[in-house]
Amino acid sequence: MTEILLMASVVLLTLGAAFSLKDARIGFVASVISAVLAVTSLEPEMYFFGALILVIGLLNIITLYLSDNQIKGIDYAIVAMLIFATVLVIQSTNLAVLIGTFVLVSVPTYVLVMLSENDVKLEVGIKYITFMVFATVIFIIGTFLLVYSHSNMNPTLYVIGYVLLILGLGLEVGIAPLHEWVPDVFSAADPIPVSIIASIAKFVPFIVAFKLIIATANPVTSSITMFVAFLAVLSMFAGNIGALTSREPGRVLGYSTVANMGYALSAFVAVVNFDLIYLAIAGVLMQLFANSAGKIGFFTAIKDRGVGTPFTYTFALSFIGMPPLMGFWSKLFIVLALVYSGYMWLAVLLVINSAISVPYYIRLAKELGEGWGYGVVNLVALIAAIFILMTVYPPDWFLQSVKGIVGTFVVAGV
Amino acid sequence: MNEIPMFAVLFLFPVISSLPVALAWIYRPGEDWARKLPYLSVFGLFVSLLISLNILFNFEEGFYSYPWIEDFNINFVFVVDYLSKYMGALTAFIAFLIGVYGLEYMRDDYRLGWYWFFFNTFTASMLLVVYSDNLFTLLIGWEGLGIASWGLIGHWFRDDDDIAFVGTQGRKVGPLEMSWSPSTGGWRAISTIRFGDMPMFFAIAAIYALTGNLDIHSIPWEGMFEEIGYVGTVALLLLFLMGPFTKSAQLPFSEWLMTAMTGPTTVSALLHSATMVAAGTYLFMRLTWYIEPWELNIPGLETIYLLVLFLGLISALYGASVALGLRERKVLLAASTMSSLGLMFASSAASFWVGEAALIVAFWYLIVHAFAKASLFLVAGHLIHATHDRFCSGNLAFARKMKVAFAVTILATISLAGIPPFTAYWIKSGMDGVMEHLVADGMLLPFYLLVIVSLIYSAFLAKFLSLNFLKGEAPHHEHTEGGQLMKLAYTLMVSMQIVLLAIILLHYEEHASHFVEEGFLTTSLTVGILVTASYLIVLFKPAVPAFSRIGVFLTDRMYLPFLNDYILPQIGWVVIRVVDACNRGVDFFFHTAIPSAFEALSRAIRSIQKGYLRVYMKIVAGSIMLFLVIFSLMGW
Repeated sequence: MTEILLMASVVLLTLGAAFSLKDARIGFVASVISAVLAVTSLEPEMYFFGALILVIGLLNIITLYLSDNQIKGIDYAIVAMLIFATVLVIQSTNLAVLIGTFVLVSVPTYVLVMLSENDVKLEVGIKYITFMVFATVIFIIGTFLLVYSHSNMNPTLYVIGYVLLILGLGLEVGIAPLHEWVPDVFSAADPIPVSIIASIAKFVPFIVAFKLIIATANPVTSSITMFVAFLAVLSMFAGNIGALTSREPGRVLGYSTVANMGYALSAFVAVVNFDLIYLAIAGVLMQLFANSAGKIGFFTAIKDRGVGTPFTYTFALSFIGMPPLMGFWSKLFIVLALVYSGYMWLAVLLVINSAISVPYYIRLAKELGEGWGYGVVNLVALIAAIFILMTVYPPDWFLQSVKGIVGTFVVAGV
Repeated sequence: MNEIPMFAVLFLFPVISSLPVALAWIYRPGEDWARKLPYLSVFGLFVSLLISLNILFNFEEGFYSYPWIEDFNINFVFVVDYLSKYMGALTAFIAFLIGVYGLEYMRDDYRLGWYWFFFNTFTASMLLVVYSDNLFTLLIGWEGLGIASWGLIGHWFRDDDDIAFVGTQGRKVGPLEMSWSPSTGGWRAISTIRFGDMPMFFAIAAIYALTGNLDIHSIPWEGMFEEIGYVGTVALLLLFLMGPFTKSAQLPFSEWLMTAMTGPTTVSALLHSATMVAAGTYLFMRLTWYIEPWELNIPGLETIYLLVLFLGLISALYGASVALGLRERKVLLAASTMSSLGLMFASSAASFWVGEAALIVAFWYLIVHAFAKASLFLVAGHLIHATHDRFCSGNLAFARKMKVAFAVTILATISLAGIPPFTAYWIKSGMDGVMEHLVADGMLLPFYLLVIVSLIYSAFLAKFLSLNFLKGEAPHHEHTEGGQLMKLAYTLMVSMQIVLLAIILLHYEEHASHFVEEGFLTTSLTVGILVTASYLIVLFKPAVPAFSRIGVFLTDRMYLPFLNDYILPQIGWVVIRVVDACNRGVDFFFHTAIPSAFEALSRAIRSIQKGYLRVYMKIVAGSIMLFLVIFSLMGW
């Protein structure tokens, strides 16, 4: 049944893309249905993840609908493809499928990043594609080294594989010191495609990396986690401090992404503690959800000035980590995972970084917010804000749900 | 348990009875009916007097306790012993008499509610200090003394009447104007007293921490002193005695008492001669009474008692000398009070070597001094009313119009000076005996200091009498009618000297009868004759123009005001500048240093964003290679 639904989803989005040449609205409808079909393919215990992904994905599709570009109609299908890959990666334990989803979520964004209402952004595209290709290659090499060394018990190869995997992830999502593309692309490309790259496209790399690292974890892992901690700290500081003096909102959000990826990466140190791994996974996933909703909201505001001030402040406060917004809970889960794993200092640095980020998020909220917020763009902002405010009811359910699916964070045969 | 409610009434009734006038003055200040409410306040003082007399005559000596904070061993514990029963009766009696005097003296005042509330609160606080055995309740009373003192000294807060000032307006010495207003006087009092109270508070806390007990009679003093050693003992007692030293205006904390004379004369008579300032010496006596240092062999105690002995004697000498030079009626008496308090401290401290007898002498001197000095203050108040002048003035013609005041002054001065065979002579003889005992122990200085102080003391008392009634200038203004209540009050007050004399000579009190034996010793008689001579000489020659320069030096209180009004403020300014510099440092750190550091760092982070892909690729490839090399080496 799962396969049938996934098949149907792929076929539908392909047909939708094809027929959208006739009418872009066909692509829209087909993509939405395809996304829903993909999500329904999930096991019931993963519905919570599917539902949240669907909200983020549909927000991406709606924002695309609000603006024009060179491949109107096909762009919806690209987002549907990203949703499809994200749904696939959470339920799959097959190594080949996992690598496939990594490629599947990366390549379509090559096209997306060049789109705009006027001309094709070739320079941005080249910069982005170069990084992504590099990322994919290194990530895949790292993956194979990890898996190989795991079966052969070769610690040196394991360490190199681990480092390459993390560096590949870093290149893909924008972790310092490999983050150079992020501020440039985020400020130069069209805000809507960027919001897609900054949101739904971030899940797959993290989940694949997490699954691989958990599956190949061995006594050597605890000695290499310091590397992850180092990169995470570097990324947090580079992102937050870099954002402080940046003027363009897109560039600020680029640095914000670098910082947020640092927060998410820091949870990887918790892999040394298997009993609490669910806390780390919940922290990373919620951090990505919070980041996605906030980024979609802010980029929509950049694209179409007129998003209400209450919304922009909601996004900003969530990014800062103000309870009870989603950004608070995600950081809390990560901080707890770090503290329980013995990385108190990292938790402290994370909290300090949240404090450093306060000025530029508030500045963004002030600059991008306008009035009380009416009109269609504010529908997107409203949904994003509600998404962030969802955790007003303490998200213990999220933690328990992640606990239920933590068993799928393995790779078959490894 | 009947005693406890009586104690409660003793402490609470004076305060409650002053509330009507206090409240009336808030809502209807100055109305005729409100001006009658002080009678109620004085009635409250009268009730306290009755209870304190009841305690004196009917209560058994011992401790009366009522549970309060039992878990912490802090309870209401009241003591009735030799010291407290006399001191309590004395306090209540003087407060009542001055209350009666105040009915007339303060009749037309503009702030009666304030005055009577603080006057009665003061009396209640003083009684609480006197009867408390528990240091915690004692501290409550002690702080009550401080706040009431501040309220009463600054009573004429408008600072609009020169009659309430101390010093000469406009006279400058260096940067200081030698003149103090009532509000300044209030501030100087409370600031000095608080300066001593804080260390005392910490010392009490330390005692509690060390022993878990705050009842003076049951604190294991000896064990505690042995536990904390020499340095601990000296430090603890020094901290504790900062309270008594400041309250009793010993050097160098005497200035506040001089400018406390900006308050109404009734306040000077009650607080700044008989009771509040004596509370410091009283507390020292009470502690000594139960520590019994003469029974212990604690080196730290010897250091402290030696310090108190000499501090007392030097303060006595300073106070007496300054009094000799002063011409302001009340300030002269204030300086003389300081001198007497010094003698009380010195005599109490001598008990370390002499034993309990020295303590009895000091306590009896406290009693005689209280009545005599209160009488003199009340007379001074009447004189200020009558002449509208706070400086000494008056001749024989004036004395004829103020016969009662004249007679009372004569009796009070000769009783206090130590002229045989009047009251203080016998006490002073006891004191001579105490200091002679020290001579036998190898300390000569205290005895000679005492003799010098006694001579000067007698001299300025004679000067006070002479310049106000015999050889002073004719008053510029005379208003000698009326004053019946005032006369009644100070006549009754001074008549206590005769009662005390009778008690001493007729052996009504076993401790006091001992003084009579001392009085017939050669040393005492010699000192008595010298004192009498000093008194008589000054009586006929109250001012010596040739010594006027010395007089100015003494009138300016040996320039001690510079400590309070110049040196301490300078230190304060230094502190302020340091705090200001720290403030600026904090501001700079948070508003300039951190932001600019972050700005520089931020620009550095952003500086790699050249926009060129080849630069980025170099960075990326370089980083990846670097990490791989590092980890390959580590994995090797």
